[in-house]
Amino acid sequence: MKRSLGEKTFSVVNAIIIVLICVVSIYPYLNQLAISFNDGIDARAGGITLFPRKFTWENYKLLFKDPALARAANVSVGRVLASTTLSLLVTYAAAYGLTRKGLPYRKAITLFLMFPGYISAGTIPHYINMKNLGLLNNFWVYVIPGLFAFYNMIVIRSYLQELPPEMEESAKIDGANDLIIMLRIIFPMTLPVVACVALWIAVGAWNDWTTTMIYFTDRDWDTLQYRMRIMIEEAANTQKSMESAMNGGEVQAQSQVTGASVQAATLVFTTVPILMLYPFLQKYFIKGINIGAVKG
Amino acid sequence: MKKVMEQKKEQVLETAIVPDEALANIPADQETEIVVPKKPKKSFLFNIRKYGGAYLMILPAIVIVVLFAYMPMYGIIMAFKNFDARLGIMGSPWAGNYGFEHFINIFEDPNLFKAVKNTVVFGLIILFGGYPFPIILALMFNEIRSKWFKKTAQTIAYFPHFLSWVSVIGLLHTFFSVEGPLNTLMGEYLVENWVPVNPLIESKSFLSVMFLSHLWKSVGYSSVVFLAAVTGVDPGLYEAASIDGCGKWKQAWHITLPSIKPTMVIILVMSLGGLFNTNFEQVIGLHNPYNRDENQVISTIVYYRGIKGGEYSASTAFGLFQGGVSFLLVTTANWISKKITEQSIW
Repeated sequence: MKRSLGEKTFSVVNAIIIVLICVVSIYPYLNQLAISFNDGIDARAGGITLFPRKFTWENYKLLFKDPALARAANVSVGRVLASTTLSLLVTYAAAYGLTRKGLPYRKAITLFLMFPGYISAGTIPHYINMKNLGLLNNFWVYVIPGLFAFYNMIVIRSYLQELPPEMEESAKIDGANDLIIMLRIIFPMTLPVVACVALWIAVGAWNDWTTTMIYFTDRDWDTLQYRMRIMIEEAANTQKSMESAMNGGEVQAQSQVTGASVQAATLVFTTVPILMLYPFLQKYFIKGINIGAVKG
Repeated sequence: MKKVMEQKKEQVLETAIVPDEALANIPADQETEIVVPKKPKKSFLFNIRKYGGAYLMILPAIVIVVLFAYMPMYGIIMAFKNFDARLGIMGSPWAGNYGFEHFINIFEDPNLFKAVKNTVVFGLIILFGGYPFPIILALMFNEIRSKWFKKTAQTIAYFPHFLSWVSVIGLLHTFFSVEGPLNTLMGEYLVENWVPVNPLIESKSFLSVMFLSHLWKSVGYSSVVFLAAVTGVDPGLYEAASIDGCGKWKQAWHITLPSIKPTMVIILVMSLGGLFNTNFEQVIGLHNPYNRDENQVISTIVYYRGIKGGEYSASTAFGLFQGGVSFLLVTTANWISKKITEQSIW
């Protein structure tokens, strides 16, 4: 089909705008990457774009020497591993149980599990509850309350419901018991949905920082995200004094706590797992939306 | 709550996108599965023997929900009391005005009332201001002919969605800092005698920063659902239209938009349900001592006054007020979307 001049211009303009959107989406991160590899004092002069001006490993070296950050990295990795495996186990088991043929009270149980999604007691009652359960300043507050997620269960359940029932029946005729059927036949067939839900849980756990803010006063259990948060608060203070200094105000005692370069290095460090998993994330997050669609 | 809302959104929406023949099958299966077994009721013991394993598998989920969703509901009583940790929830005295003192106070304390107002304003701006962009982006993605270009562009545009809010705010700090790219650009190339400002530490620019950062983080990923709807449009319609001499704009207006209308309506209705819930992570993440006083929302006041300040009863009441309004909005939105989807699909 021949394309008119108008259509060609349209395509070109469209492509240009898309490219601009992509630049805006990725530039701040690439800029951060460049700053993280740049000498800290030099970076303060500004003007770094895509490549470091004075290349150095110093920022990352400083980062890895910080014992608080190392501990935070351990906490982050620990909570992601614990949440992903345990939450998947609880959620998968519930989904599997609810798909058993002719299960009495299936509807009542589903409603019981769904209801809290509509009305929640609120932040303070949850806080008091965690306090009563001894979960304040306790690593397990990262893991246990999130062990079951209704939506994830629905996604797994719809996938299970889509499986051909003949598989199970023929296995039964061959004399396999329920446990073997589940582990050896059903589970392997649901691996795509398991991968998808696992990634959701993992990214959610890795990126969460408000749990730390609400339930911890003990800084020993900070996650990487929360260390970032602390640095950002410091950055706001530094910015305020710099701003007033640049605008002719009084130069306040500059809190040289964390330079922008070290902050950049921390940020890049906390996003490394996301970057490493990114091809899978993109694939499975979008796939997951479609699986959830099949049956709501 | 917010998360659940988004998830609901996706569910409902996808039902709308699935091709017709798939849709026709789904409810049919489900019906037969539920209706057919009309055998006499089995005894409790029989059920346990046959389904004990299944119940055992569901049990952990029930325990978690009871412990972390149902048990806290008991704490709602605090909203009607003057909670004292030494006396416990039951032992604490009732609040004044027949227990409604803390609720009445929401409309009398100017700070609380301002937080309610901010919650509504922020919600409206994010909802209606942000709404068209993912749709436009989806239409634009759909116009790209080169496969690799489309794929690369999508990969890049979805990226911000996977960053945590803390990381996004960290990036904002670099971008907006007084020595950062924006101020350098303005000062050196665009404006003479530019006075460097950092909007992140200014009270008055809070709303703009919030809106733009929301857009930056979510526009790409939010376009996914619309793109799915757009790709589902019958290509024959476009061919017919272009034979009739319709240009790109006319095609978009008369074919694409009407075709994806169900998706658009459902997304809008579901976001209406979340109108009264600000993104806590985003707002409290953007807060610092220089901008937070003027820019409190309900959830942040609950955090500062309740968890940091120990005003448990007043904060519970404030949170409950938000929860109640949100619940009404969500149920109304669900009800509307049910009506709409039924009409538009069948």
